[in-house]
Amino acid sequence: MAEFKLPANSIVKIGKTFSAPKGGDKEQAKNTRKFIIYRYDPAIDENPRTDTFELDLDNCGPMVLDALLKIKDEMDSSVALRRSCREGICGSCAMNIDGGNTLACTKSIADIKGDVKIYPLPHQPVIKDLVSDLTHFYEQYASVEPWMKNDTEIAPDKERLQTKQDREKLDGLYECILCACCSTSCPSYWWNSDRYLGPAALLNSYRWIADSRDEATEKRLDDLEDPFKLYRCHTIMNCTEACPKGLNPAKVIAKIKQKMIKRKIS
Amino acid sequence: MKNTRVTAEASNHFLMQRLTALVLIPLLIWFCFSIALLPQMTYEVLISWLMSPFNFVMMLLTLIISFKHAHLGMQVIFEDYISNLKRRNSAIIAVKILSYLSMAIGILSLLKITMGGQ
Repeated sequence: MAEFKLPANSIVKIGKTFSAPKGGDKEQAKNTRKFIIYRYDPAIDENPRTDTFELDLDNCGPMVLDALLKIKDEMDSSVALRRSCREGICGSCAMNIDGGNTLACTKSIADIKGDVKIYPLPHQPVIKDLVSDLTHFYEQYASVEPWMKNDTEIAPDKERLQTKQDREKLDGLYECILCACCSTSCPSYWWNSDRYLGPAALLNSYRWIADSRDEATEKRLDDLEDPFKLYRCHTIMNCTEACPKGLNPAKVIAKIKQKMIKRKIS
Repeated sequence: MKNTRVTAEASNHFLMQRLTALVLIPLLIWFCFSIALLPQMTYEVLISWLMSPFNFVMMLLTLIISFKHAHLGMQVIFEDYISNLKRRNSAIIAVKILSYLSMAIGILSLLKITMGGQ
């Protein structure tokens, strides 16, 4: 059956607590917030735990990533996380913050009420702390062959042109940064990620299906003709809710289904 | 990725589930109102209600389509939540047999009532 309970060695225990560092004038910080962070180290034979870090927000940047880096720099250098661009374009710092998948660099601390709970992306193998293993996610992305395919020969010094209207069909598709927030927020993906491609891979498949320059539309649709790859989407809409880029993978998946049905009945 | 079962039936299944759901909306509304508007809920009244050709056809459609919709939906639920392939396939086959069996019993009962008048 689908796993609804955590295995005994995955149950999260309460870990250490770190108080806010005192300021230069030795006075205790006043504007503080607790950051409860999931910790797991495969090198240690222990259950995962949540450590609590108290931060002085008057002495910290506005985003959750700022807080995480402050914790790593000043309180516990062993906290592991991915980050790179700090402006929502690389997708590295995708994690579960305050119960929702999002990017730590674009999530404002002020938007979160109470303690800030930070976990890795749900239902993925954890490498360490907030770093999840996205190997399978990337394999699924590769499986939709996300590149232009066409048989029409064209001179090397010529470009494949498309109309402005055709180009506009790619809006809302090409912006995907593959952060995995959508796929890992989807219950269908949690239960059947070995066979269901998930919203991110499907959105990227449609990015090429919708491209007027691509000539492999039928082949791409054939590849998705499967009860699991595509049809595990039950329009739960968590993907759309989670997408930090404001995209709508659920709508895109519905468009793929429409195309599948149209070619079935035509 | 694990072996992915490729079947051209995936879209048919999806389409059929939606179509049966759509058709069931008017059929179930008709069924509920028809039963609720019966003067009495007695055996004789129900039999005479079923003897009407319109009610007979509508009831037949409701039976066939609701059992078809049920087994299509149950298959999706089993595929979602039963990860063991043997158990999953057994459950799908069992619900399919049960569904068609119930459908057949329903149809035969209807025919018996309308033809035999009891």
